[in-house]
Amino acid sequence: MKAMYKITIGLAATALLMVGCVGEDVKSSPQKVVKSTITEESLGLRKTDLYSEDGTIADKTEYRTSQATTSSKIKRAFQDAPPMIPHDTIGMLPIKVNDNRCISCHMPEIAGAMGATPIPVSHFTDFRPKHKVVSGEFVKVVDNYKNEVAIKKESKLQGSRFNCSLCHAPQSQGNLAVENTFEPVFTSKDGLSKSSWEGEKLTESLNTLGDESFITQDDIANKNSPAGTLDGAAH
Amino acid sequence: MSLSRREFLKSSAAASAAAAVGMSVPSELEAVANEAEGDWRWDKAACRFCGTGCGIMMATKNGKIVAVKGDPAAPVNRGLNCIKGYFNAKIMYGADRLTQPLLRVDANGNFDKKGKFAPISWKRAFDEMEVNIKKALKHGGPESVGIFASGQYTIMEGYAAQKMMKAGFRSNAFDPNARHCMASAVVGFYQTFGVDEPSGCYDDIELTDTIVAWGSNMAEMHPILWSRVTDRKLSDPDRVKVVSIQTYTHRTSDLADIEIIFSPNTDGAIWNYIAREIVMRDEAEGIIDWDFIKKHMIFAAGPVNIGYGMRRDGEKSLKEGKYTALEMETISKEMSKVVSNKEGPALEPYGYKAGDTMEHTAGTLGHWEISFEDYKKSLEPYTLEYTAAISRGNPDENMETFKEKLQALANLYIEKNRKVVSFWTMGMNQHTRGTWVNTLSYNVHFMLNKQAVPGSGAFSLTGQPSACGTAREVGTFTHRLPADMMVANPEHRKIAEHKWMVPEGTINPVGKQHIMKIHRDIEDGLIKFAWVNVCNPYQDTASATHWIKAAREMDNFIVTSDGYPGISAKVSDLILPSAMIYEKWGAYGNAERRTQHWRQQVIPVGDAMSDTWQWVELSKRFTVKDVWGEWAPSGPRTEALPSVIEQAKAMGYSEDTTMYEILFANEIAKSYKLDQNDPIQKGYDNSEGYGDSRNVVGSDGKVFKGYGFFIQKYLFEEYAAFTRGHGHDLAPFDMYHKVRGLKWPVVDGKETQWRFNAKYDPYAAKATKESGNSHAFYGTIAKALPFGDLKGVKDKDKKSLANKAKIFARPYMDAPEIPDEKYDTWLCTGRVLEHWHSGTMTMRVPELYRAVPEALCYMHPQDAEDKDLKQGGLCWVESRRGKVKARVETRGRNRPPRGLVFVPWFDEKVFINKVCLDATCPMSKQTDFKKCAVKVYKA
Repeated sequence: MKAMYKITIGLAATALLMVGCVGEDVKSSPQKVVKSTITEESLGLRKTDLYSEDGTIADKTEYRTSQATTSSKIKRAFQDAPPMIPHDTIGMLPIKVNDNRCISCHMPEIAGAMGATPIPVSHFTDFRPKHKVVSGEFVKVVDNYKNEVAIKKESKLQGSRFNCSLCHAPQSQGNLAVENTFEPVFTSKDGLSKSSWEGEKLTESLNTLGDESFITQDDIANKNSPAGTLDGAAH
Repeated sequence: MSLSRREFLKSSAAASAAAAVGMSVPSELEAVANEAEGDWRWDKAACRFCGTGCGIMMATKNGKIVAVKGDPAAPVNRGLNCIKGYFNAKIMYGADRLTQPLLRVDANGNFDKKGKFAPISWKRAFDEMEVNIKKALKHGGPESVGIFASGQYTIMEGYAAQKMMKAGFRSNAFDPNARHCMASAVVGFYQTFGVDEPSGCYDDIELTDTIVAWGSNMAEMHPILWSRVTDRKLSDPDRVKVVSIQTYTHRTSDLADIEIIFSPNTDGAIWNYIAREIVMRDEAEGIIDWDFIKKHMIFAAGPVNIGYGMRRDGEKSLKEGKYTALEMETISKEMSKVVSNKEGPALEPYGYKAGDTMEHTAGTLGHWEISFEDYKKSLEPYTLEYTAAISRGNPDENMETFKEKLQALANLYIEKNRKVVSFWTMGMNQHTRGTWVNTLSYNVHFMLNKQAVPGSGAFSLTGQPSACGTAREVGTFTHRLPADMMVANPEHRKIAEHKWMVPEGTINPVGKQHIMKIHRDIEDGLIKFAWVNVCNPYQDTASATHWIKAAREMDNFIVTSDGYPGISAKVSDLILPSAMIYEKWGAYGNAERRTQHWRQQVIPVGDAMSDTWQWVELSKRFTVKDVWGEWAPSGPRTEALPSVIEQAKAMGYSEDTTMYEILFANEIAKSYKLDQNDPIQKGYDNSEGYGDSRNVVGSDGKVFKGYGFFIQKYLFEEYAAFTRGHGHDLAPFDMYHKVRGLKWPVVDGKETQWRFNAKYDPYAAKATKESGNSHAFYGTIAKALPFGDLKGVKDKDKKSLANKAKIFARPYMDAPEIPDEKYDTWLCTGRVLEHWHSGTMTMRVPELYRAVPEALCYMHPQDAEDKDLKQGGLCWVESRRGKVKARVETRGRNRPPRGLVFVPWFDEKVFINKVCLDATCPMSKQTDFKKCAVKVYKA
């Protein structure tokens, strides 16, 4: 099945807001008769009377009830976005130190057989440099002034990624509160279902100023900033 | 604007237009697969959400954001984001973005408070603002012009707003939503250290053995820090202990070795119990580091009858009967209260006993030095028996088990060679004794010499992305100026006036209109013009019905600038469309003193413009003669504010010089050049600097072509001047664009890991050069005190305490509203992982909305059964102030004990702040959103 990704815009709202905009004479003399107006109730998420709670009910949560092994996967929102949970999670949460039921199906070695999304390589990668205290002195093992990284692929699931619910959540069915016009662009063939964030990709484009990404003595001296000092005023 | 430069900028008009047409993109996504990332532009940015301050990498293509990932080079989060962090990608693309100013009008297009909204031009919008500000100034002077400011302002926005308010309008009716989230932490810092912001940093997590979370659901509210805690715990599960001290079970408890569920407001008693253990066992066990104490500490106390920050007798709206008899049942406690059996023993050392009537006066920051013996006396009541009896929060827990946990907790702190970090957020801050509880945390750490050292310390976590960087450091508070300076201090005013090139005497010395006061001043009719900036005060303030009514029904003019129409926009008279975070240059400062900058990634939608631009455009409408004349006494100010027009003339300004020329487009400002050869600016839009391809028609009715200088850099550098050389040192603007943030003070290009510690903090090193001490608590606020005992001052002569910190005697006291027969349940409100604050951004991200589409009423299954409520069924949650409907959840992520319900506040449709009470810590003025009494029944 080819994925169809539909983006619809809340046209009604957008159109209303566009009335009488750019290009026309915007001096808007107060006497001009107003053609269209927008009610307070039509704005925002709560379309009901703000001054009474009798007629207001929250949007009901309707998580999918399909079981873990039979649910169809939810497409990723963009390249390497965390996938959402397509199955019922009742009985699987909370995640505790000795009780993480997510990993019992999603570990890569068993995920295939369970029909589950395998935990990707990034979750088995240690990104955190291990700073040390050496004879009472704190010593950094990477230089953060040079944006250094310390990335190591490991065999075990990383502790920092143990709380699956930090990024992955079940999804309620039904209408959205408001549409969203974000358009994803996928760079890998299976980007809708698989993470590509591994290997060289982890460190690409980190030098965001290209060859000039590094601090110079001139930067520290800040000579061309006439606003940048109090000229000795003490406080 | 020259063509060549326009070409240079990656303008996105085409893409924006395409999106605005509205289309379904039949994107066979697989067809575009394999597209190279070649035309993606990756850049670093800071996350929009919590105070953790994670770094993100953001990809744009054709002027639109297409992806976000965790930044592997960012020290805070090293390649990982939480669910909200990843979906920064989508927050600007909700379909109902505000694209044009909207004004309430009548059929003829004239402003009409009762009218519906109609689109207007920016020019008209500023016309209306100008007229209404002038009207307000005429009504009650600068005190009648109020701003709801924000901990989500970029540093530049906050600074621009502060300058125009304090130097332009001379108004201190300017206070941020950050007041609601960390004011108690701030006053705790001021009282203890004499200066704001934490001594430690996040590296403590990897270095510690013990993490204690006090009244903080870090797992949801600081998720990336929690991932670091989890990593630390799992790396050495036997050695590393996690303790979760909460009023109900939540995800933070899921990882804990010990969970302590305490009764609301009794956290202070538990801190005092630990302190008592330390002090009473010291003789036998040698626990206290006396050498450290003698060199670095003094003991202190203050008054206890300081009220609860509610309205007081004599205030206009009380006299006019705007509060019901039911509401007055609680408000009356502000004036006097009978000491309860529960708080009686704790108050005995202070001269009160159960049954006494305590007459309250309004809160004071005053305090005095006391002896260690008196401090010891203050701790005597907190035996294990008493502490456990008042603090056990789960009525179903065995008392002996509970006592064992308290004892185990104290032992973990006390254990020699065990490092301990205490984290807290809203539980300790949103508390009618929040300042006290904050100071109590440092007591324990200080006595054990486990503060401001690697791996140990009490650490206040901040809620908002720039509550530290903007609200606190820039000082977007009623009483503050940049870098810990105060409007009440004449020397500080002079320094700011000099830097701002405004006459001496311009700045209003009375700063008492904190955010609750601004709401109350609107209700009392003092404030006639209010502008909401980057926050949502009509959804996020307790006793909400009052403030909405005051905005809608009284003679005033309320303006909201926002990306989306939230509740504040809906109740406003004028709505302004704001550029959102990645549509502008900006910087935030996180909870570990880390300042992080980003560049404008895309052009704003519609006619939206940044808040900086809105402030700067407003400044064009006001001249010297409009704002710098004499103002008669008004509101909290009892003396006239003198005219400074003559001095202004002496400085070379005329009566008609605009605030724009003085504050924002002066010669120094213009020296910050726009330069497409600058590696930092190269290839990046700057909608304020150049204008942009949308050709937005600006405040003068003409296409806005930009200011022509690098205004964001100017604003940052000028603000940073206040910090440099004063222990707050921020690095140069350019440096921040080359690193993933730096922790101030940044001295000679180097950041500071542990403040006040002579090994790591150059300011502490300097202060201890002669003494050779390990630490210097060099803050300067309230560093000379009279001497007394627990009941008051005995010797008024002030003694200097330079470089010392304070250990405070502070008792347990009840909250002003506690459950009774009629309202039998505690209500606690707060946040959830998937939504940010009032949900205006996150409810518009499909994945986040679908994850948590509604605010639930979390309750104990037995309570539900007793009240005839069903899982998933609707209930009313009703207090003396109002009621809301919510669905019952008895098996969710939050698991309260019997007698307490938790309802988050992100959901406009479950408007829980109509139920909450606007009591505050009377010292910090921060609202206690965690405690009020409700009844819950079937809807």
